[in-house]
Amino acid sequence: MKSVHTLISRIRESEKNGYAFILPYIIFFCLFIAYPLIFSFILVFHRWNIVTPMEWIGLRNFIRLFQDPLFARAIINTLIFLVLHIPLQIVIALFFALLLNSAIKLRGLFRSVYFFPVVVSGVVVTILWAQLYNYENGLFNHILTALGFSAIPWLVDPAFAMPSIAIMATWKNVGLYIVLFLVGLQTIPSYLYEAAEIDGASKNYQFFKITLPMLNPTIVVIFILSTIGGFSLFIEPYIMTGGGPMNSTLSAMLYIYNQAFSFNHMGYAAALGFVFALIILFVVTLQRRIMETEDYST
Amino acid sequence: MKQHILIITSVLLLLSCGPSSHDIEHEKPGVTRLTYWPAPNPQEMQLADSLVRVWNQNNPNIQVRMQPIPVGQSTEEVLLASIAAGTTPDICSNIWPGALYDYTRAGGLVAFDKFSDFDSVMTSRVPDELLETFRSPDGSIYQIPWKTNPVMMIYNKRILGELGYEEPPRTYSEFLKIGRELAGLREKNKSFDVWMGQRDIRPIWWQRFFDYLPFYIAASGGKTLFDNHTVAFVNERAEAVMAFFRDCYRDKVFPRTFSHQQDPFLLEKMATNFAGPWQIPTIQRYAPHIEFGVAPLPVPDNYEGPIYTYGDFKNISIFSNTRHPEAAWEFVKFLVTPEHDFALLEIANQIPVRGDLLTNPMFDDFFKRKPHMLLFAEQALYTRSVDEVADLKEILDALSQEYEAAAVYGRRSPAEAIHRAARRAELIIEWNK
Repeated sequence: MKSVHTLISRIRESEKNGYAFILPYIIFFCLFIAYPLIFSFILVFHRWNIVTPMEWIGLRNFIRLFQDPLFARAIINTLIFLVLHIPLQIVIALFFALLLNSAIKLRGLFRSVYFFPVVVSGVVVTILWAQLYNYENGLFNHILTALGFSAIPWLVDPAFAMPSIAIMATWKNVGLYIVLFLVGLQTIPSYLYEAAEIDGASKNYQFFKITLPMLNPTIVVIFILSTIGGFSLFIEPYIMTGGGPMNSTLSAMLYIYNQAFSFNHMGYAAALGFVFALIILFVVTLQRRIMETEDYST
Repeated sequence: MKQHILIITSVLLLLSCGPSSHDIEHEKPGVTRLTYWPAPNPQEMQLADSLVRVWNQNNPNIQVRMQPIPVGQSTEEVLLASIAAGTTPDICSNIWPGALYDYTRAGGLVAFDKFSDFDSVMTSRVPDELLETFRSPDGSIYQIPWKTNPVMMIYNKRILGELGYEEPPRTYSEFLKIGRELAGLREKNKSFDVWMGQRDIRPIWWQRFFDYLPFYIAASGGKTLFDNHTVAFVNERAEAVMAFFRDCYRDKVFPRTFSHQQDPFLLEKMATNFAGPWQIPTIQRYAPHIEFGVAPLPVPDNYEGPIYTYGDFKNISIFSNTRHPEAAWEFVKFLVTPEHDFALLEIANQIPVRGDLLTNPMFDDFFKRKPHMLLFAEQALYTRSVDEVADLKEILDALSQEYEAAAVYGRRSPAEAIHRAARRAELIIEWNK
């Protein structure tokens, strides 16, 4: 006890100002991160619907979780979304970043325009795209049918719904990744290209042997950011499809939200949340290992 | 000088922290204070405000403060949060029966039948058979059935008339026949965009209050999804309803889509709509040119007997946090007098749950002025609420997913969908035991 007191007095003496500066964040961290995290961990072993007192149920939430076909479906759906969304996003963002990095007219305007969707509210964008995707009256199907194609059941067919959401999410987020790629492109030393040109390397060769390898750190960052962002897929299915059709767009976050706030199963939702966090941790660690290994090999 | 400023500021601060004249009055001995939460829509707030004003004038010793339910995503969420925080009002008149299980399990509500005059008050107002449907599993009654919004079929007379139908469809066959005719017309003329009906196809549990659930109640002669708290919807009627909706989507009677845009009924792109009396003022305000009628929900072709439906009940409860349950009960009795039920009709355009609604001369004039409301009032006696069971929302969610699979997309047979929904419901009940 005495040693603790001595430690506190020593800290106060030597680093008083430093601790005063970080105190607001420590309070914020304790209130909004540490406390909810600890409380959620306690919740996973309980049944609690907010109203009635918490009831200890041991590992029953986890037993239910592993028997719950909808959670498994939600995880698979989220992974499908990632598989569709991440490559699409990286390819499109890189394409536009390369265009915007070249000497084209109105470059500044285009950079702003591509970034606009990022700053627009996700709810607004989702409602807008739901109208565009409308099977009967949506603009996309009007254009398709006017051109002689048949209408696509964008959001009302299990096979199309998740790809449709992935397209919309890409449109919404791609501006941010264009900016990241632009930053990455501008850090590539120009002498590498000059040397390659002297050696007679074609533009394609330069792209694959200089641009892409030099962008690898940026690609790793974008991959990880997109993965984490993709795992938190919620607004789009919540507003556009409610998780349908046939649970094809039921994302893990939407399922956790439903369990917590529609059905008041706080303990079960906390267990789902912890397991889901572990899955994200596993996937992101795996990605880093694979991609950073590739980085070293190049 | 600085000291003077400091002293004056301190005095002002202390004064501002002291009790206001309102608070002093609040603490007047002998005056009981109650808080009453009505629904936060303008009509009900207006009704509550006028009733509370009258009450406070006539009852100086029991003063009621009206405060609309605080804004939240839903009343149920706000009430759950207030029960958890111990900040419930004394009385609330927007209690959804489906949420009652959680409230009573938490000991959050006062049982009405403990009041000595409860039976006499209720007997004169609510038919016994209907009142019994609101009895909780522990045998007590924690809610006064206050108002109901029966889900009925509102139809566009012009659209049906142009097809040669003077009367609305009464059975599934009649409904589908008209719907198929409209589908044929759309096929022939691409600019013709009128459907028999349209429902939100997203698997959202509460959307089933406007399609599957009222149709099931209608087809089964007033049965609900549970019997004595066990699953009771594995039967031919449940399958018939599922098959009816499957036919609607398969034969393009309903579009397999949903819209965030304006109500297609108001745009005359939909011949029928399944809705409650709240739809009437909306039509009269936004599409006064539409000539519409109101009819009971279509039933299976071989159905005989009165046609029931789902009534979106909102009831009155007293929260157990109240320090004045007797005074709260007096105020509740005041809310449900015939005069104030009339005010509910007149101001809020909602149907009070009264057995004498059609026989009491007090209501005659209103129904003469608003004949559409008379149809809803007639239906009100043949309504059922949701069952008071644990995890009702999740069970409705399971049913909703099967509805989507079998009816909207035709991926399962109606029988398989019903069995799967029942199995999932039993599993949910088992999980949460």
